[in-house]
Amino acid sequence: MKLLRILILAFISVALLMGPSYAQEFITIEGEVTRVLKLSIKDLEKYPVAEIKIKDQKGEEHVYRGTALSVLLDSAGVTLGRNLRGENLTKYVLVTAVDNYQVVYSLAEIDPEFASNLVLLTTHVDGKPLPKGEGPFRLVNQIDKRHARWIREIRSIKVLFSK
Amino acid sequence: MQMRIKQKGWQNQTGIVILVCIFFISLVCAFTFFEPEPYPLKYPANFGGRFTIPEDNPVTREGVALGRKLFYEELLSANNKISCASCHQQALAFSDNRQFSIGVDGTPTRRNSMSLSNLLWVKNFFWDGRSTSLEAQAVVPLTDPHEMGQSLEASSRKLNASKNYPSLFEKAFGTPHINADRIVKALAQFERTLISGNSKYDQYLTGSYQPTESERRGILLFSRGMRMDTNQRGGNCLHCHSIPKTFSETFHNNGLDEVPLDFGREDFTGMQEDRARFRVPTLRNIEVTGPYMHDGRFKTLREVLDHYSDHIKPSATLSPFIAGVTEQQIYSLALTPEEKQDIVNFMLMLTDTDFLNNPEFSDPEYKTNKP
Repeated sequence: MKLLRILILAFISVALLMGPSYAQEFITIEGEVTRVLKLSIKDLEKYPVAEIKIKDQKGEEHVYRGTALSVLLDSAGVTLGRNLRGENLTKYVLVTAVDNYQVVYSLAEIDPEFASNLVLLTTHVDGKPLPKGEGPFRLVNQIDKRHARWIREIRSIKVLFSK
Repeated sequence: MQMRIKQKGWQNQTGIVILVCIFFISLVCAFTFFEPEPYPLKYPANFGGRFTIPEDNPVTREGVALGRKLFYEELLSANNKISCASCHQQALAFSDNRQFSIGVDGTPTRRNSMSLSNLLWVKNFFWDGRSTSLEAQAVVPLTDPHEMGQSLEASSRKLNASKNYPSLFEKAFGTPHINADRIVKALAQFERTLISGNSKYDQYLTGSYQPTESERRGILLFSRGMRMDTNQRGGNCLHCHSIPKTFSETFHNNGLDEVPLDFGREDFTGMQEDRARFRVPTLRNIEVTGPYMHDGRFKTLREVLDHYSDHIKPSATLSPFIAGVTEQQIYSLALTPEEKQDIVNFMLMLTDTDFLNNPEFSDPEYKTNKP
């Protein structure tokens, strides 16, 4: 009986240590791309890490960690940098969350050659995986004063042409 | 003798050729002169133009008139007693006043009948968002054995045999032939015209209505979130029920049950994180669309407010926007009775009596337009 209790406690502790469990463990980048990407948190670790420090409403600083969205889009063959010209400037990124909430960023405001903004696909805040209800993937950017485009629980990122 | 037979044969052939020519000429004429009149969709400018009308189903006066007649047509049901309007009554903003509606087989439907308004802007239909067009949506209640229970082929046969419908289909689609595709297209056209945009709230936005003090407080409480640092009070309802249309294309678990009986959107997507998520429905004409929620569990708006204020049930998929209504992550807004009444009073501003009484939406035969 005691052994059973210990086993149950050990199981619960391991489960808690593993952090929040998500059904949606990957993110897709598709649309006007040359390579569709389906990335897990582990896949994202292969990309360069970037951080954004931001103060919340109470004035407390938080550090969001992840990968620059421009790096991921570049990896999917999206027209950035020298290729972001002409009709490609009418492209935008449509980000959809698990609850179907959607936000839009233009390609130009994501591209570091155009804008000094940093749009980050984050997986961690203050050194910990994003909590349930926010993660596993959340977009964070440096310049938005309101955070309504800091879309949580992202399911997909689509690059589209405005028609 | 042989010559005469040959001559007769030649005459016959000429006759057939002439008949075929006449047939083709009339066919060409029919298509050339078939030009239904576009239906002018009128809506408040602040509703915006983010909607798509299928290219193969433009909204026309003839199509809308046909769709309206079909909406009230009981022949579309297996027992010839139920029409779309049976569960979507105009006086009730095209909902019914039942918890669950009763279909042709006498059994209750699985979910509460949704109000039909401003569907022009909707992208995901039903409580679980399973249909992405009004055309696709219409097929479900028409054919579901617990709703109207009749195949579209059977409906087409019945309508083809009727006196008036072939000519109405000809006016709308250029052919008297009735089929499944044209039935749902006409219904979708009519439904796209069901625009509700002249409530007191709309009049307030355009400056022609002065809200009462309670309504003003209700607008603020509806729009603002709770903030402990500034003592700001509010329900943050607007987060999902975006103004001015008061719905959004999002799906949330709004904390009705810890263990839900109805898995909601998960049934459609097969994804566990969609468990008990349901569409954020319109609040337009909410005064007359009760009972409320996907399962019609709340009879009054006050019960709805009590739920959001005091009875949110935690679960794995509870909307983070409801779980986090306060910065302390507690599951209670603890609105006062007065605050609840203020929010209800704001919601009553969303009643659009013009919409509920618009003769263009009523039963053209004046048979079934009563709640």
